[in-house]
Amino acid sequence: MVLFALAALGLGIGYGLWGPDWGLVDWLAANSDYILYLLMFSVGISVGMHHGLWNKLKQYHIKILVVPAGIVVGSMLGGILCGLLTGHPPNESAAAACGLGWYSLAGATLGKLAGAQMGSITFLSNLMREIFSFFSIAWLSKHLNAYSCIAAAGATSEDTTLPMMIRYTNDEAVVFSVMNGVICSALVPVLISFCYRIL
Amino acid sequence: MDVLIVMCVGVLVGNRIFPRKAKGINEKVQLICTLLLIFSMGVTLGGRPNFLSELASLGLDSLLYCLIPTALSVAIVYLLSKKFLQEPEDRPKGEEP
Repeated sequence: MVLFALAALGLGIGYGLWGPDWGLVDWLAANSDYILYLLMFSVGISVGMHHGLWNKLKQYHIKILVVPAGIVVGSMLGGILCGLLTGHPPNESAAAACGLGWYSLAGATLGKLAGAQMGSITFLSNLMREIFSFFSIAWLSKHLNAYSCIAAAGATSEDTTLPMMIRYTNDEAVVFSVMNGVICSALVPVLISFCYRIL
Repeated sequence: MDVLIVMCVGVLVGNRIFPRKAKGINEKVQLICTLLLIFSMGVTLGGRPNFLSELASLGLDSLLYCLIPTALSVAIVYLLSKKFLQEPEDRPKGEEP
């Protein structure tokens, strides 16, 4: 699966850089939201067929916030550490890491607040986080646990990296993953603003 | 949020009316959608103006900003999950369906 995924990514980048304009491919890239909706509908069917899953999740109660809280704390500390290593101010570096993988929003937001260079670093680092987490999920699920896969994915755990979660973890972890993605996505704009202005 | 709504509709369909014998087809749909999504992500990235030059000039700093926060997030969540959460069950971890 990882090889297929790598091949699909490589072909896509190659087409984007040098490919001819093929109507169907361009339409596909421009309307990938519909593919995501179909995937989510299909994932929902898988989850719905698993009877008793919701009762199990209810048992977690407030503990369901443990994963997003760990992701935010880890990312923020990691960002500050990166700032120390690269010489960037701690508020900017923490804000960059608090994109949690949502590269489009984080890159654009921090680009406006801290300038083009920090915006580009934010964009690229969060893009790398998405790609890195996508391909590390198989390894993390085998050597650590399903929650660690969600941690790497951050805000992308509800969409882009979800397919890998589906393949390498289980239905319960997939529901956790979607909930984590929703919470992290809602937090990203707040965290970027908080880190940039308060830290 | 719309993604969550679509998923909830899917949950209802899967719980109430979706035939069990079509489970394999549903999994194939997931695989095809996954590969199409990754491909379209690549097309969007490759189509960005200055994608390669951005990657070359700020790549090392960006890599650092990717790896350290991700590693710390994984480490903290792993430790917290060992203390507060149970391992989700129903399929042996690391095994493909």
